Amino acid sequence: MTYLLLWYGWFRGEILAIPGRVIALLFFLVLFGAPLVTQDPYYLRMITLATIFALFATSWDVLSGFTGQINLGHALFFGVSGYMAGLLNTHFGMPPWLTIPTGALTGVAVGLIAGIPALRLRGIYLGLVTLTFPLILLGVFFTFPEFTGGELGISGIERLAFSRILSYYIVVAVFTLSVFFMWKFTDAGSKIFRVGLILHAIREDEITARASGINTTGYKFLAFAVSGFFAGIAGGLFVHYMRIAAPSMLELVFSFQAILWTIFGGVATIYGAVAGVFILFPMLELLSLTEWGEQSRFIIFTVILILTLLFMPEGLTVWVLDKLEIKCPRCKLVNVFTRRTCRACRAPLRNQEN
Amino acid sequence: MAAPFLEVRNLVKEFGELRAVNKVSFEIGADEMVGLIGPNGAGKSTLIRLITGILKPTSGQVLFKGEDITGQPIHKTVNMGLASTFQIVKPFRHLPVVANVMVPCLCQRSRRKGEWVKTVELRARDSLEFCGISDLALEPASVLSHGDLKRLELARAIATEPDLLLLDEPFGGLNPAETRLVAKSLKRLHKGGRFGRLHSEGPAMMIVEHKLTELMPMLDRVIVLSFGEILAVGTPAEVVSNKEVIKAYIGKEVKALATQSG
Repeated sequence: MTYLLLWYGWFRGEILAIPGRVIALLFFLVLFGAPLVTQDPYYLRMITLATIFALFATSWDVLSGFTGQINLGHALFFGVSGYMAGLLNTHFGMPPWLTIPTGALTGVAVGLIAGIPALRLRGIYLGLVTLTFPLILLGVFFTFPEFTGGELGISGIERLAFSRILSYYIVVAVFTLSVFFMWKFTDAGSKIFRVGLILHAIREDEITARASGINTTGYKFLAFAVSGFFAGIAGGLFVHYMRIAAPSMLELVFSFQAILWTIFGGVATIYGAVAGVFILFPMLELLSLTEWGEQSRFIIFTVILILTLLFMPEGLTVWVLDKLEIKCPRCKLVNVFTRRTCRACRAPLRNQEN
Repeated sequence: MAAPFLEVRNLVKEFGELRAVNKVSFEIGADEMVGLIGPNGAGKSTLIRLITGILKPTSGQVLFKGEDITGQPIHKTVNMGLASTFQIVKPFRHLPVVANVMVPCLCQRSRRKGEWVKTVELRARDSLEFCGISDLALEPASVLSHGDLKRLELARAIATEPDLLLLDEPFGGLNPAETRLVAKSLKRLHKGGRFGRLHSEGPAMMIVEHKLTELMPMLDRVIVLSFGEILAVGTPAEVVSNKEVIKAYIGKEVKALATQSG
């Protein structure tokens, strides 16, 4: 009983008191509870794909949002590991739980090999170089059609699990664990990992970080590896879910989509990338259900993006949280917007005149 | 005889046609406080950057504790115990002040195995307290004034627990009260005065500065640079009475200075 009360106290202080975490909790409850409400294949498929893409967008955020290494060819990780998983499965008959991590590690290896020349560059030049990598790989894939399937890709890949619901839960569980890890990994105030602080420092000013004795190249490689690994996991899940590894996974549009989703939701916040995908991707899908929506959905998409960038330049989630949360001016603890004094130190949150 | 603490041999740096540093050689002992003065454009900052490794010299050598560190990346020299501050402050603007100082606490040199993040934060706060900005620890660095940023820069440098500290205009932009405060704490740091749990012995220092009135009383030795060459080396009293130095840099105020430092 005492433990229960203690646990409730922790829950109230760490989750219920912070609006952002309440929203995240509700989101995960809905995500895990969705199959109990509807078992319609269309909606389940939509949520599963959104989950996979959210993992992909989050991994882009780790590399480019937090570490500041602009990667315009993030589909490289996704595509390489997806193809690798597909090849291992169709040629060697390896099961999905083995092909997905192997594929992701291959993706990391390819990414690191590409990173050796690329990491000598900074800013937009790094972006331009990374932009070319997936395109080069696409050319390589088209040159060996008997092995990679050419333009048709690899088909007949084993499904993730025998039932649709089980696949859904596998994807959602992997997504939850990965996002939790990446959130802790990049959190500058984390009490577990110190890497997050260093990654932030590298984004802010690389020379100062180096003058502080940090081997920035090593940490940039680490960011590349972690980001590539999770993008690779997303790629493997995608391939096993769709049962096809197609060249479209390496296309330019796909790299840019991750960037659009993340910028819409909020750069350098893990939740921003997730929110971006879970708002924009289902919106496009649902619009295509009606005839007028089918024709005008990209116009609507563009208008929403432009309006977001105009009125919420830091992204949707940052804007919303700014309205819901107040930081205590004294102890910097996050409070709900309805409070007048800080919940820990009782400092007034607003000027008393108003 | 043991190898000198820091030895600079025939250091040359050319920016195209311009020779910013021309065959500079000197030594610094492990317990010295050395000033580097000279008119604008004399190559003082360039010299500091050459020693830390931000710039690569055209020719010449830098030896630290007997090891050749010429052209080594900065993070390696920092981990050997050679910290430096920049003349133009470069904080991590979006991070809190204490996080700015936690980053150097995490470098190879000052990292402790299995240390809790909480302890790292305490060490960072020690170093902030030493510089007198611990009350701003939780504010983001972007709201700090220039003087506070300058002190943050100093806190960042001493958080790596250096053996040699290269300071590029530590008093630049500080008001007289702050200048005296920083000068006092630098002296205390050099003498190995209590500074949290960080230092048992103070680091050697090399200070580039224009505010001679505050600087001179602190120093053991002064190196005067002019047009990339060493004009004079000696104790503060010797240097301020040197005719060439007066002509090139100090000007007429010399008498007041000589009496103060003598």
